[in-house]
Amino acid sequence: MTNHRTSALSRRGFLKLSGAAAAAAAGGVGLFGPPGVRAAQPTSRLVSKYSVCDMCFNKCSLIARVRDGVVEKLDPNPKFLKSRGMLCARGNAGVRQLYDPDRLKHPLLRKGARGEGRWQRLSWDQALDHAAEKLQAIAERYTRCGVLFMAGSDMQSTFLHRFAKVFGSYNALSHESMCLIAGTRAFLDTYGEVPIPDMLYTKYVIMVGANRFESLVTPDSIDLMTAMKNGCQLVVLDPRYTRTAALAHQYYAIRPHTDMAFMLAVAHVLINEELYDKQFVAERCYGLEQLAAHVQRYSPEWAAKETDIPAEDIRRLARELAAAAPQAMVYPGRRSSNYHDSTQIRRSFAIVNALLGNWDRPGGLTAARMVGLKGGVPFEEPFYEDNPDDRIDHGPAKLMFEEEGSFKIARDAVIAGKPYPVKGFVVYKTNPMGTGANRQKTIEMFNTLDFVLDIDITMSDTAWMSDLVLPSQCYLERQDPCSAQQGSSACACVVMRDPVVEPMFQAKPVFWIMQQLARRLKLGQYFDFTIDDYRKAQTAEVPEAMTALRRDGVYYNPSKLYGVYEGRIFKTRSKKIELFNETYQKMGLDPLPVYHPPADPGQGRFRLVVGRNALITQSSSQNNSLLVQLQPDNDLWMHPAAAAELGLHDGSYVMVQSPAGRQAIRLRITRRTRPDTVYMHTGFGVLSRGLSNLQGKGASIAAVLTDGMDQLTGNMAMHETIVTVTKGGA
Amino acid sequence: MSSPMIQRHTNTGIFMHWFNAGCWLFLLATGLGLLQNPDLQPLGAWYPGLLRAVFGGGDGLLGAHIAVALLWLAVWAGYYLRFAGRYAVPFLVSIFTLDPRRDLQWIVKKNFQMTLGYKMMARLVRPLGWDGRLPEQEYYNAGQKLAAQVMVLGSLVLAVSGLILAASSWIIDTPNVPWVQWSITIHYLAAGLTFAIVLVHIYMAAIAKEERPALWSMFNGQVPAAYAEHHHKLWYDKLSK
Amino acid sequence: MSKQLGMVIDASLCLDCKGCLSACKQANQVPEGKWRNWIKDGDLEPAAAARRRVVFQPGGCMHCDQPTCVSACPTGATYKDRRDGTVVINRDLCIGCGQCLPACPYGARYRHPHLRVADKCDFCVQRRADGLEPACVSTCPTKARVFGDLNDPHSPAGRLMKKHAADQTLTQVVNRRSPTDPNLYYLGDPGPKHWPAQAKMPEALEFFKNLVKPAVNLVVGVTGLGVVAMLAKQLLMPGDAPPEHPPQGGDHE
Repeated sequence: MTNHRTSALSRRGFLKLSGAAAAAAAGGVGLFGPPGVRAAQPTSRLVSKYSVCDMCFNKCSLIARVRDGVVEKLDPNPKFLKSRGMLCARGNAGVRQLYDPDRLKHPLLRKGARGEGRWQRLSWDQALDHAAEKLQAIAERYTRCGVLFMAGSDMQSTFLHRFAKVFGSYNALSHESMCLIAGTRAFLDTYGEVPIPDMLYTKYVIMVGANRFESLVTPDSIDLMTAMKNGCQLVVLDPRYTRTAALAHQYYAIRPHTDMAFMLAVAHVLINEELYDKQFVAERCYGLEQLAAHVQRYSPEWAAKETDIPAEDIRRLARELAAAAPQAMVYPGRRSSNYHDSTQIRRSFAIVNALLGNWDRPGGLTAARMVGLKGGVPFEEPFYEDNPDDRIDHGPAKLMFEEEGSFKIARDAVIAGKPYPVKGFVVYKTNPMGTGANRQKTIEMFNTLDFVLDIDITMSDTAWMSDLVLPSQCYLERQDPCSAQQGSSACACVVMRDPVVEPMFQAKPVFWIMQQLARRLKLGQYFDFTIDDYRKAQTAEVPEAMTALRRDGVYYNPSKLYGVYEGRIFKTRSKKIELFNETYQKMGLDPLPVYHPPADPGQGRFRLVVGRNALITQSSSQNNSLLVQLQPDNDLWMHPAAAAELGLHDGSYVMVQSPAGRQAIRLRITRRTRPDTVYMHTGFGVLSRGLSNLQGKGASIAAVLTDGMDQLTGNMAMHETIVTVTKGGA
Repeated sequence: MSSPMIQRHTNTGIFMHWFNAGCWLFLLATGLGLLQNPDLQPLGAWYPGLLRAVFGGGDGLLGAHIAVALLWLAVWAGYYLRFAGRYAVPFLVSIFTLDPRRDLQWIVKKNFQMTLGYKMMARLVRPLGWDGRLPEQEYYNAGQKLAAQVMVLGSLVLAVSGLILAASSWIIDTPNVPWVQWSITIHYLAAGLTFAIVLVHIYMAAIAKEERPALWSMFNGQVPAAYAEHHHKLWYDKLSK
Repeated sequence: MSKQLGMVIDASLCLDCKGCLSACKQANQVPEGKWRNWIKDGDLEPAAAARRRVVFQPGGCMHCDQPTCVSACPTGATYKDRRDGTVVINRDLCIGCGQCLPACPYGARYRHPHLRVADKCDFCVQRRADGLEPACVSTCPTKARVFGDLNDPHSPAGRLMKKHAADQTLTQVVNRRSPTDPNLYYLGDPGPKHWPAQAKMPEALEFFKNLVKPAVNLVVGVTGLGVVAMLAKQLLMPGDAPPEHPPQGGDHE
């Protein structure tokens, strides 16, 4: 209906419109339009409307330029300080998501075998009745915890979690156990809260396990560049020569899984050379003595052998870092779903930062600022007597976040049917089939389920393997609750979404879907409000926010940024920053990060690492008709020395194989990765035939990654996959 | 009128002549105006400037050029389809039927005659074994045949290259643009060479005094019998039989 | 001085995030596989010396003062607009001959696959008409691209031009054999410098210019001289007639 790739417009009838208007216009203009007729001018005024980008999790405020009811262009909101008034490649491609011909248009019920792709179109009433029936049946047979819920990062995900709670299942997951919870845990257990780096005013940054100029995080990515313009030095340690590495002042191709060795050696230098902030550490930190003793064995000379970074360079980097402190930092990073000891690795980052005394200071790590947003319309969770005692993923990870869960553990539990059976799965706005390491296991999990309901805007791999697929709305069609954001020195702010255009097809917001399901399950009273009511409850303490949001597209709370912790304790056991974590000790965990050398991949084997660039958002953006032109597929990066040893040629097809599975992929020989490390982008090699731009494109990293786990949090460990690469396979 | 008049042109022929002349001159003028590039424009920047002012811009000029060219082609196509056997083929046969010796002699003599006068011509051709009289001519004299040949062939090249140019932004895909590029050059070459002949034709037909009856015949279709006998003896003789 | 729209670009701020490419593509409905702007990354490989920072170079049509594309256009469909200094394509006059494509040292042009005319950056003429900045400029995360009238010190780009006029930190990226005097200026290190090609004039155009045009001039000139000679004779020797010419029946008048 609204095919965006409308072609064959006569040049003289060419309209700079997209979507419906262009398609309509194309009908009326012949190929051989009379010569000399001037190009049609847009007939009506450009209308500008605020919204919030949803092409990744950053939620950048934007201005939609709408003409004749069609979104022509999305522009950054220059008043939005968190993004520094920018919109990235994906943000700009958002229009193509709205007008994507591959969008789900109406509810679909699986007819054939799972993943066969035979669907029956249902009306909304039929679909909701069916879903309610299935959920009810599972609840009756397996208890209400027999339904697992999972929602990605979204301004309406809260309603799915609310539904899970009132339905009575503890088993609600976020996407975060495949993302950042190891880092969150590490900083939380050191500082008592998760700090936000103040990039703008920093003078020296060591970035390890992060790729901030490709994996964009606002305002960090932009502020780091501004800081560098103002003299900040950037040091990047990464097995891959990323764009961040290319833009850095110093780059080291560190051996994978040795970040902790580097950090412990830096701590060794800071302590032994007395370069740490003595006053700050004495007053605000706990466990210096234990740390000092602990790091004695981690000398730069020792670390050099582990990391492949020369000892004198480690020493120099530590001294440079200390010289710039407190306007210096080890960048905390974000995605930390890397290793079985990722929490401890990130703990070592947190500890070095503490030694620098950069907490609560300009150019260091800052505390979350007050935004003033409340939790929305409150409710009391009903109690269901027959439910089991714990979450299905409770146990294996001692420090798992209950509110996030662990997809890895939950999946294993579903497959095993232990500790109790889970037979229903409701997914919104996340794609575990496309992103969860070890895809074969995810398929196995789906095969043990009686009912999988996926709510999405396109036929993702998860949707493709589901039983019932419900079309949700594109963000530009939606009214969403308010959302608080933290940006350190950039802002503490609130954004919200109002519809920019009328919703297309039969797409519905997940709020409405949950409301409808709740009513069918006699839980309607928990959803007896509107989004407006919800926003009103959220902004009860900052009533001026709504006015600002309508006027500027953003509300700023001018809350205090630096010195917040003066005269205040840290929310930890010792009330100080915990270099040494006694709680860990009591739980039988390492109270200080203990380094374990990584497994050697072995001759002719490689470590497969995960990474991002500014053109892909996990597995959700690859089918976009604009972005696919910038990132048409993926290939396997391999160092020329390694390729020569295996006799592999650039551009040829290879088979990359791990214990989890294998994929055929084109080889790219490049010096941008270490000889012992290979890399491929996420999100290709899809199962779904509903993503027309991705058919036959690239290979799936999820199918090859093994599903290791961070022992403390249950965060997926996606950098522990050892692969072989062999000729052929196309 | 002391000499009786004989029919030389049909109304259709007269229409086609003037239609062709009008279109051709219009296309020449506008086509030349389309060449704004100073490396290509033979007349100077003022000319395309003037034309663009008249047509409300280059796009108007291009539009007019293409519109008239298509009209011209359509009418000619219609003419050839409708009158192929009756006029078109006989016309082509007559202009392409050459009698080399007679036609060459006529051309040489006529040239001398037109530029230097009869006496001088008679004197100059004598060494070739020719007398001072022009060879007898058919319905078309050798000069007319030559002009018609150039015009027909030139127009054919113009039509083909012009169609390629017009089609460029309609159907020709990028790998084939060298055809378009060479068509521009060839279009100009054909127009230039044809124009050289047209210059002579216009002089002979409209300015030269002795061809005045031929000019009038392009309005009323008739020539005086004496003119026909003198200028187109072979045709006149055929008619007289 | 007259208006000259252009950009002053601080390449050292560029992350190579492709935001400008995406914004341009959407704003101008640039067809699939074609681009109106670019980011040059030179050789994105780790250097032997670990301390070499890469500079990415954002660019697009440079709206040159000596545009070779204009010299390659037969019809004047591509021209330098003296009102704002942009190099413009009049789509309705362009015949899609493609001769301007190789004539641009920067490869800034492509032939639109559906419209079949030349296309390139127009500094977002429609957006400017709507009161907006060019899409690549407004979307850029680090504001590496600064747009405006280079000759107006009150415009954002003009301010930078004025500020850096004396300190020699403004660079144009040019091929020495095709100095087109571009209006995209780079502040400091522009990154890759040697990528622009030599402007290539198409063979058909060169043939036209060097052979066909003089040949037609010659033929038309000679014929014209002949006609003039005939006219002269007609006027100077009005009585000349062949002696054996039988008396005419008289003129029509």
